[in-house]
Amino acid sequence: MYVENDAPQQRLSEDAVKVWLIDEAIENVIGFVILGVLFYLDYRFSWKEWIGWILIGLVILSVPGAVWSFVRPKLLYKSWRYDVTEEFLQLKRGVLKEEHNLVPMTKIQSVATTQGPLLRRYGLYTVTVETMASSHAIPALPKDIAIGLRNQIAQYAKIKEVEG
Amino acid sequence: MNRAKRYHPLLLVFDLVNFVKSFFVFFIMLFVVGLGSSSNYFKYGRYVFILVFVLSFFSKIIGWLTHKYELDETSFRLYKGLFTKSELTVPFSKVQNVNRHTTLFHRIFKMTSLSFNTGSAGEDAEVKFEVISRAEADKMENYVERAGKPLPTGLDDDLPSVEKEEQETLPGRTVHFKPTKNDLLKASFTSLSFLFLVPLLFSFYFKIDDIFELEEEKLEGAFSYLLSSWWVLAMILVLIVAVSVAFGIGRTFLKYGKYELSSDEKRIYISKGMVEESAFSIPKEKVQAIEITQSSLKRLLGLAKVKLTSAGSISSGDDALEINTLYPFLPVERAYEMISEILPDYRVTEGMESLPKQSFWIRMLSPSWVWLAATAALYYFRSSIPFWDGAWWVLSVLLLITVYGMRLMDFFHTRYVLNERFVQFKKGSLTTTLFVSKRDKVIEVKVTRNVFQRFLGLASVGTVNRAKPIRHEGVDDVPVELADAFYNWYIGRTKEIHVE
Repeated sequence: MYVENDAPQQRLSEDAVKVWLIDEAIENVIGFVILGVLFYLDYRFSWKEWIGWILIGLVILSVPGAVWSFVRPKLLYKSWRYDVTEEFLQLKRGVLKEEHNLVPMTKIQSVATTQGPLLRRYGLYTVTVETMASSHAIPALPKDIAIGLRNQIAQYAKIKEVEG
Repeated sequence: MNRAKRYHPLLLVFDLVNFVKSFFVFFIMLFVVGLGSSSNYFKYGRYVFILVFVLSFFSKIIGWLTHKYELDETSFRLYKGLFTKSELTVPFSKVQNVNRHTTLFHRIFKMTSLSFNTGSAGEDAEVKFEVISRAEADKMENYVERAGKPLPTGLDDDLPSVEKEEQETLPGRTVHFKPTKNDLLKASFTSLSFLFLVPLLFSFYFKIDDIFELEEEKLEGAFSYLLSSWWVLAMILVLIVAVSVAFGIGRTFLKYGKYELSSDEKRIYISKGMVEESAFSIPKEKVQAIEITQSSLKRLLGLAKVKLTSAGSISSGDDALEINTLYPFLPVERAYEMISEILPDYRVTEGMESLPKQSFWIRMLSPSWVWLAATAALYYFRSSIPFWDGAWWVLSVLLLITVYGMRLMDFFHTRYVLNERFVQFKKGSLTTTLFVSKRDKVIEVKVTRNVFQRFLGLASVGTVNRAKPIRHEGVDDVPVELADAFYNWYIGRTKEIHVE
């Protein structure tokens, strides 16, 4: 059973959890501030009734969302796996919805490492891969692993199929 | 063919005709309707119009003077630019399909338009010759096809040899299908093209109404007169039906009258159209996938539409003629036969597996967001819905029945099979689509499993194919064993691909 047992093995950096937690915290604060402002405006300018209902609906959805966003990073980290062979890039991730991708090396067009301020703080990099059809990212890898992976993918992806 | 050339001078006439076509309404407004008017709107409008006209005409002339093309041994070279020169090289090997479109304009001057479509994105995705003589187009098409071969023998570009060659290759083509009159009659009924008259009549009515401002009362009087005597009404009905049918048949004949599907060793050729001719050709190995579509009516009559997926774009310019479809009214059996005739590499497997019982439950029990949203909206606006008080929940129930009906149909239509090198997915509620591709043409696969699917031992599988736009296909809620087989099936592609 490929999907269940023979899954890829490599994992992300453990710091990924911290990065995601901080990220989620920032996003949640911003989200709730915006909601608060909207509530104030709704009260101040007495907007239509249904707008109030939508705002209440948004709060009802956001609270469990916020709670979930603090549980999710740990689980997501646990679920993330990737592997690179000469022929394929394999990815597996997802907490509620598990997703497996299998991308032939010969179809990869470009590979890059990127780093935002949060990742930089922990010395991490994200490796992004572009194919003719899609782009995939392996987030939060330690610097040497990320750069090694990037170079390795670039090496493997050099080989192109005869396009028929 | 190795000197940079300008495009055909008739291109300028073609551009002029197009300009006139697209600004005709403006022209009438400004110079005919508004001629007597002294309002500033019309006065300055006329100046702006003339300015735009002159500028665009000059830019076309400059464009014509500076744009050049040349064909070397392996690629197109396109030159353009007055101050900023640019040179674009498009290798022949990147050409996915070739389209030819001959409009009325082209026919008058015995010309045609030719485009070579590549799989890349953006403006440079096609090498297009808007106006080109037919001989030149034939020559070029032949040349490009020849140059793509690994062993180009006798690749002289002097005219006579190429033309001779071309005449030799033409008999090599096998014609697979050419509709007879009978086929066309059948097609015009199954395509329901006679129904197209109705919207046409409506738009005609509204246009007349706009111009002459028909008086509603008089009109109503006329209607009540017509309705009062049954035989007048019957006559009118018969007349409308007769005209509709004639219209439908005429439409089908115009579209498919000169339809022809042929192939030779390397390529597939499709051509159609009586007045505006279109031709499409694709190398066999560049067919990314096949799609067989059946509407409910076609399913009843056992007909099907077969479409070839190409990585290059299909429609040339503004005509959205579905030129990559094989004749859309083929009997299913014949369609399958034809696929193996024209594409020996492909095979449609007829015995396919259907979904397991568990997926029935997951599909029935998953919430319908469309229905929930619609019901909420109906409830909110319940007071403004006409008819009667309870109308909102009746509509909501009807919608729910429709949603479930579609889900049921989709469940029973869904089939899948992995067969050595091929994958086949079939799905759809009213219109079903059977998708067939080879694993060396699939450029990526994915398997997803949500919480419920994991609980029930199911998974969703998906493929990605090159096309324009990128083609995502897949089936939801297949047994997880199939998902595993699917993954392994795809890994097996390494045996089939050839690396450069």
